[in-house]
Amino acid sequence: MTDLLKGNFSTQKKVVLENSETPEDNLESKLKKAALNSIGGSMVYVERTDMTWDGE
Amino acid sequence: MQNTVTEKFSDVVSKITDIGKAWHSDDIVNNAYANLASEQKNLKQLPPITGKKAKSAIVISAGPSLHKFKVIHKLKEQNYQGSIIAVDGSLVKCLKQGLVPDYVLTLDPHPTRIVRWFGDDNFEENTKHDDYFSRQDLDVDFRNNSIRENQANIELVNKYANQIKLIICSSAPTNVTTRALAAGFDMYWWNPIVDKPQDPNSLTRKIYQINNYPCMNTGGTVGTAAWVFADAILGMKQIGITGMDLGYHTETPYHMTQTYYELHEFIEDESELAGLFPQFTFPLTGETFYTDPTYYWYRKNFLDLFTLSQSKTYNCSEAGTLFSEKLNCCTLDDFLART
Repeated sequence: MTDLLKGNFSTQKKVVLENSETPEDNLESKLKKAALNSIGGSMVYVERTDMTWDGE
Repeated sequence: MQNTVTEKFSDVVSKITDIGKAWHSDDIVNNAYANLASEQKNLKQLPPITGKKAKSAIVISAGPSLHKFKVIHKLKEQNYQGSIIAVDGSLVKCLKQGLVPDYVLTLDPHPTRIVRWFGDDNFEENTKHDDYFSRQDLDVDFRNNSIRENQANIELVNKYANQIKLIICSSAPTNVTTRALAAGFDMYWWNPIVDKPQDPNSLTRKIYQINNYPCMNTGGTVGTAAWVFADAILGMKQIGITGMDLGYHTETPYHMTQTYYELHEFIEDESELAGLFPQFTFPLTGETFYTDPTYYWYRKNFLDLFTLSQSKTYNCSEAGTLFSEKLNCCTLDDFLART
């Protein structure tokens, strides 16, 4: 529906999209940023299911 | 005392892995290509070890307890005969005290910082506008950013490198590779396990296809990688971990922690702050330490990997947050007496 209506009319007032980000999302993303800052962007990420892997 | 975290905090930390993937994918692949050269040895070509070297190992990580409990001095004084596995960040400290590690692990892809652990030929340029080392709980000499200190480190590493096996990850930046070659390390390559290699589109598989090096888990930090190396590659029966605090001493005020300012933005009242710095009581001493999202993430990774371990591992750090019902803690003296 959004695609069908798109561009068919002009609004009289400027439409401002409501910020859908919840406070929790915001906190989460900022905590992630904080963690990255503390690591200095220098970590290697991990998968915890294997100690080693050698081809197969 | 707490020894637990809130569900919200835990959930946030569990998602850190995904950010790393976005952050480092390109670097890891690019470095794997850049580090590709003929006649390189990998983990499969490590010479076998025998005698006491094969029976036990000490992992020397670079947390504050390493200095506080004079770990290197004790190992030297008691003439520890097992394998000595140091992380890159503790190499120079070992050498300064006359302890030459059998193995040194390095994996971090950072383009300007990590080379400093080996003595940086481009020290002045690489340390400009970067306070990374001054924010670390490391050897105070490293915090001083001294050109003279760096030069002394270059000479020290050059002197002993040919006695040390450098367990170097394909994700290492090229300046570390160049420096390691110039110093004369005996180098053995490997790849990091960074996602499920069984997935046909996995990044781990992609890196493996570049060089065919064996892959090893890192837990996200070189200290954990050193322990995985001891356990899964060397097959040690007994491993003692030192200098792996993964936490702050309670004497450290929150504002001195590295994420304080970011975290502080989200609380309305100072009393909420403690919830973002969960506390742990270290079982051997009853001392309290607290952690932050980063250290907590490392801790969780280690404890998850620990469930796959074949060795008997003791945390001999004598401080910090790394313990569980299954991960035993003991003093370094006790560990040395057992081995």
